[in-house]
Amino acid sequence: MFNRPWRRAAIAAVGVLTLALTACSSGESNEGEDLSANRAGAMEKYAVGDQFKATEPLNFTILYNNHPNYQLKEDWLFWKELKDRTNVTFTPTAVPLSDYEQKRSLIIGAGDAPFIIPKTYPGQEGPFVASGAVLPVSDYLDLMPHFKDKIAKWNLQGDLNTLRQEDGKFYLLPGVHENVWIDYSVAIRTDILEKLNLKVPGTWDEFYNVLKAMKAAYPNQYPFSDRWSKPTPGGALFNVMGSTFGAPGGWGYNNATWDDKAKKFVFTGAMNEYKAMLQFLNKLVKEGLMDPESFTQADDAATQKFTSGKSFVISTNAQTLINEYRPGLAKTDPAAKVVKIPVPVGPAGDVKAGSRLENGVLISKKARDSKNFVAMMQFIDWLWYSDKGQEFAKWGVEGVTYTKDASGKRKLAADVNVVGLNPSGTKHLQKDFGFFNGVFAYGGTSELLQSFFSEEEQVFQKAMNAKKTLPLPPPRPFNADEREQANLWETPLKDYVMQQTLQFILGQRDFSQWDAYLGELKTKNMTQYIDLVNKAHERYKSKHGG
Amino acid sequence: MVAIDSKVIERKAESILEAPRPKGHRVSRGYRVFQVFNGIILTIVVVVTLYPFVNIVARSFSEEGYIRSGQVNLIPKGFNITTYRIVASDPTFWVNYRNTVVYTVVATVIAMFMTTTYAYVLSKKHLRGRGLLIGLAVFTMFFSGGLIPHYVLITSLGMKNTIWAIVLPNAISVFNLLVMKAFFESLPVELEEAAAVDGMSTYGILWKIVLPLSKAVIATMVLFYAVSFWNSWFSAFLYMDRIDLFPVTVYLRNLIAGATGASQTGGVTSDDVTAAAANIQSVTMVLTTVPILLVYPFIQKYFVSGVMLGAVKG
Repeated sequence: MFNRPWRRAAIAAVGVLTLALTACSSGESNEGEDLSANRAGAMEKYAVGDQFKATEPLNFTILYNNHPNYQLKEDWLFWKELKDRTNVTFTPTAVPLSDYEQKRSLIIGAGDAPFIIPKTYPGQEGPFVASGAVLPVSDYLDLMPHFKDKIAKWNLQGDLNTLRQEDGKFYLLPGVHENVWIDYSVAIRTDILEKLNLKVPGTWDEFYNVLKAMKAAYPNQYPFSDRWSKPTPGGALFNVMGSTFGAPGGWGYNNATWDDKAKKFVFTGAMNEYKAMLQFLNKLVKEGLMDPESFTQADDAATQKFTSGKSFVISTNAQTLINEYRPGLAKTDPAAKVVKIPVPVGPAGDVKAGSRLENGVLISKKARDSKNFVAMMQFIDWLWYSDKGQEFAKWGVEGVTYTKDASGKRKLAADVNVVGLNPSGTKHLQKDFGFFNGVFAYGGTSELLQSFFSEEEQVFQKAMNAKKTLPLPPPRPFNADEREQANLWETPLKDYVMQQTLQFILGQRDFSQWDAYLGELKTKNMTQYIDLVNKAHERYKSKHGG
Repeated sequence: MVAIDSKVIERKAESILEAPRPKGHRVSRGYRVFQVFNGIILTIVVVVTLYPFVNIVARSFSEEGYIRSGQVNLIPKGFNITTYRIVASDPTFWVNYRNTVVYTVVATVIAMFMTTTYAYVLSKKHLRGRGLLIGLAVFTMFFSGGLIPHYVLITSLGMKNTIWAIVLPNAISVFNLLVMKAFFESLPVELEEAAAVDGMSTYGILWKIVLPLSKAVIATMVLFYAVSFWNSWFSAFLYMDRIDLFPVTVYLRNLIAGATGASQTGGVTSDDVTAAAANIQSVTMVLTTVPILLVYPFIQKYFVSGVMLGAVKG
């Protein structure tokens, strides 16, 4: 009785497997390929500045990252207006944000993925590239005039190179920013600064002096107690601080850092710049200026120390400042004032590091065979990369959700609110209209990005934009064998660096043992690893240039 | 006759559990010390288990700022029910809530039917191929096909985006099956033989003799299944593509994991603001947990004796 369904399932499974295998082995070269069978609904002429409108009603499947704060609704103005403007509708596969990545892997692995797969961060596409499930989009940029225009105008080639795989192609259509956007820095209690007659620190040395003065006035407290240490210790701080020392740690830690002078990759955890940062942090801890629990405690604990006045300095981003620190402080000390300060200047100079790429869109390989393929690429180009499309996805419809004055400055409509910009608004731009949606709106010009920032955040951004942007590392894609080998080395190396980082900072290991530490890294294959990276880099350079 | 029998069994179980000490015996010192320590340890366990829950309830009635600054412990601060009103006004929450109720009821009914019949068959020692049937079930405890084949199977069977994807694949929990089988085996064979001699069919015996005697284990299994279906989210997450099909657990998980996960990885951008108010989480947790909590007291007396009966044969 159970036999037949089982057999059918088995046949189906085998069928899917075969399909997947044939998909893998299908042709590689896409140069000048024939797209004439895939032009249904596409525009004959579509160039920069054009409004995309499909010549027939089209429907695309899309993996939809469902945000808990604005649950997917079918009656959003976004869908209706999108249909009016572009003749396109979506069939979304709604996935909870909490487990988006798991479902994405599963659904791609099972060969059941929708055509459009947004919200994929650079680097996450790796496994899907290896399995041949996603499209090498760099072959189809000719269908995307706005994207090409932005690459040229904003000089994004270097950023895009970081996405390139071993074959020299890239598979992710990233969200692109005009400028490097830094959100994380440290927050300081300015009322304490005023009380002690101190200035906002502009360099890390001044930062140290400020902490010292705070400690002198409040000897029983640690002035600095930090958060974002789980699972990566010092996730935000080491990243922000490391960039200004010349060797990013924390979330930004990568075993290999590009040394622009020597023109080769070096091991981050062994760099003198990295050591200098650890020595600085060790000084803070040793002198009682920084809470030793900073690197192990949960975010809540750190936040509570800060909001209850037990500490005066903590890492922050624009949102936590407004959503967590200020409301918490208001309850314990109404006179307290706190600001996010521009990242202090370090030994590496007045610089900032980072990529201008954001999470972006993957395209299923099977979409290439759809008769609407060209129209789909044009549509994606319009919605995600054209100024009009980006403005639409963020601000919505002029006259309904926002207004524009003569100088081009946008303002939310009187009854619409989002991120607390218009507290009197009764309707929500995300929840009620579906705009400003993480699935469709990212990247864009600095002007567009900052149009949603508060005044004080715009001041911060201005200060950060004035800093020089460091060049990005050149591409160094591994081939399959190398990747497997590198995977074996990478994690133990990284874990060891993280562990020793804390030992040095907390004073459990003296800096006189730095050389011994370097020796220990060598026994963990540091040298072989860096050689592998440099080899991959050289090969890429000789094959594809750059 | 039958009714009396089941009472006897129940009482026997209760007596094992409570173990009242025989009158007239003096209580040894060691026993008294044991009782004191036992009391202390159990009190600690109660506090440790209860505290997080009370804390969540307190948070759900508190004002945001107090929660952020860590001032809320057992008693709400800045008492208000605004958040309850906000959550209650979200239609998605109620749609998902209804789904949870429907999935739980349907799944439990199906699971009970499947498990009871399977367990009853397995409890008959004279059944040919019984070892194979047990082996089939136990095999699945140790081996599974893996996620992707499972997904492909459900999809090919056309069960994606239907209630069947949730209620069918999990219809038999092998653990529950074995407990139930042990229980059926413990019933006196003579009862069934007598019924058979009187001309009752196999189904009649199961329905009229065995099941009325098995109220304890049935109640326990219903509770086990209902709680696990109420709490489950994974199959819904895998096989449902529309939010109006999600159960409330997926809604809750998204709310909590989504808000905390994003701030941990630093992946939040201001395009994608994750400011799930601290007490929206607690309110949703309270609303999600309470109904299933309310079921416990009514089933508990069966629950305890049921587990005992499955464990201690004879």
